[in-house]
Amino acid sequence: MSEILSIENLVKDYGKIKAVNKLSMEVEEGSVYGLLGPNGSGKTTTLGIILDVIKKTSGKYNWFGSTSSSESRKKIGAILEVPAFYPHLSARRNLRIITKIKGKGADSIDEVLKLVNLHDRKDDPFRTFSLGMKQRLAIGAALISNPPVLILDEPTNGLDPQGIAEIRKLILQVAGQGKTILLASHLLDEVQKVCTHFIVLNKGRGIYSGLVDEVLNTSNTIEIASKDLQKLSKAVKEFSHLNSLEEEKDLLAIQLNNSVDTHALNTFLIEKGIVLTHLAIRKSSLEQKFLKILEESDDQTV
Amino acid sequence: MIRLFEIEWLKLKNYKVFWALIITYFLGLILVLSSGMFLMQFFKYKGAEFKGIDPTIIPLYDFPDVWQNMTYIATFFKIILAFIVIISVTNEIGYRTMRQNVIEGLSKWEFLLSKLSLVFMLSFAATVFLFFEGLITGLIYSTVKDLRSIFSELEFLAGYFLEVFTFLSFALLIGILLKRAGFAIVLIFMYTLIFEPFLTINLEHNPHIYESLKSISPYLPIRSLNNLISVPFQRYVFMEIQDFIAWKDVFIVLGWLIIYQFSIYKLLDKRDI
Repeated sequence: MSEILSIENLVKDYGKIKAVNKLSMEVEEGSVYGLLGPNGSGKTTTLGIILDVIKKTSGKYNWFGSTSSSESRKKIGAILEVPAFYPHLSARRNLRIITKIKGKGADSIDEVLKLVNLHDRKDDPFRTFSLGMKQRLAIGAALISNPPVLILDEPTNGLDPQGIAEIRKLILQVAGQGKTILLASHLLDEVQKVCTHFIVLNKGRGIYSGLVDEVLNTSNTIEIASKDLQKLSKAVKEFSHLNSLEEEKDLLAIQLNNSVDTHALNTFLIEKGIVLTHLAIRKSSLEQKFLKILEESDDQTV
Repeated sequence: MIRLFEIEWLKLKNYKVFWALIITYFLGLILVLSSGMFLMQFFKYKGAEFKGIDPTIIPLYDFPDVWQNMTYIATFFKIILAFIVIISVTNEIGYRTMRQNVIEGLSKWEFLLSKLSLVFMLSFAATVFLFFEGLITGLIYSTVKDLRSIFSELEFLAGYFLEVFTFLSFALLIGILLKRAGFAIVLIFMYTLIFEPFLTINLEHNPHIYESLKSISPYLPIRSLNNLISVPFQRYVFMEIQDFIAWKDVFIVLGWLIIYQFSIYKLLDKRDI
């Protein structure tokens, strides 16, 4: 796997405020990389810098192994913040300008418009579009001329649930073609569903980075239930490897010592004469992990 | 460069405001430049006379005088072309399309060149138009029609091109600096037609102004542009006029042109877009 993007000690000062503070990260080819963080954590500023529209204060970033240039940007499809188009021009004419800038022919325009479901509105001026349509056109614009890298800054902003689902499907579909995607979002659910890697930003610093799957599988909470919860609770307390127990609505959430698995637990309970109606390992969500990471980082900075 | 103008053309060719301003400019010019003789007849009808001369025999359209007369009048209309430049660039900032263009793979420098290609094309079109307007009205009204007279003093067209190109570069700078069309248009309008002319009158004619200050007036941005093509009409009342373009004025204007271009480049280079 070769490196698509590398960022090293990137800093952006706005006066006293450090919007980006010594950020380093690497994005490998084919990964879908989530950029997470609360509002104002430096996500858009970082993307603005690596797209050469915001001047860095210090640090380095490389695209495709060399310094960024207008040539490297032609290989990136990107939306930053709000969709930016000429309001008086039609969808098709707006896309034509982009292909002209990228030095490509106009043949992919119709295809892209079909992909983002705007083909029947292709000759209408951009200003007549709804927010969802504008957002879809922006994604279409990023996809035009088939770039190997996509940068999407809050791509589902302002969309209704159906629109959000459509965009997600589109991102997964595009990621399936082997494209590298950098996705900034404050919607954790979104990142959890589409990303392979993620980094958490807070106050301009990268405070955590890792694989999404790793986070999702590191839970050791087990859910159990039986017809008589009281009896189950009493029995499970006698299990010697029990760490903690919490009674929730209709089930018990328990944690065991690391070395013990659900098989041992179940065998123990059957010996006690209890038959489980429910046994499941609870997957932790990215949200829980994210909040924990942010909490820890805030504790450190205080 | 052609690619950059093509991009600019795609942005403008379906933009109604652009065409409205273009039509205003050219129709206005045709109307004013072609009606010189009617105007003289009107003066005569009203009983006006210029130092005993019948207005209708004033040879406004005689070659080669027509070139200076026409370019001088036409420079008053350049502000309309400046509006086009200002609207075009402030739109790009307001719609965030300048930023998007850069993201898509234009360098800031190329973006600037695409705007300069618009400035060039507008100046070029205005100059070519003036050549034909002068040629046609001249061929209709002029009493001298030999080729030598027709094609002499064409330096005024070159001077006109330089004047419009420099003024539109000034407009581009103001547009990029202020970012808002309304603000930039009001400012360039007020500065060009009111502030600097009044400053110049004071500098040149106010008895309370220090002598040393008077000498700066030819170096002011608008005054220096106006100096390129001098007022030609006193010649019809037997007064001396400057019927050529002075190199000194050309160099002052070129100096301003370099300052404008450099400032625009620096402004874009430093700015987060």
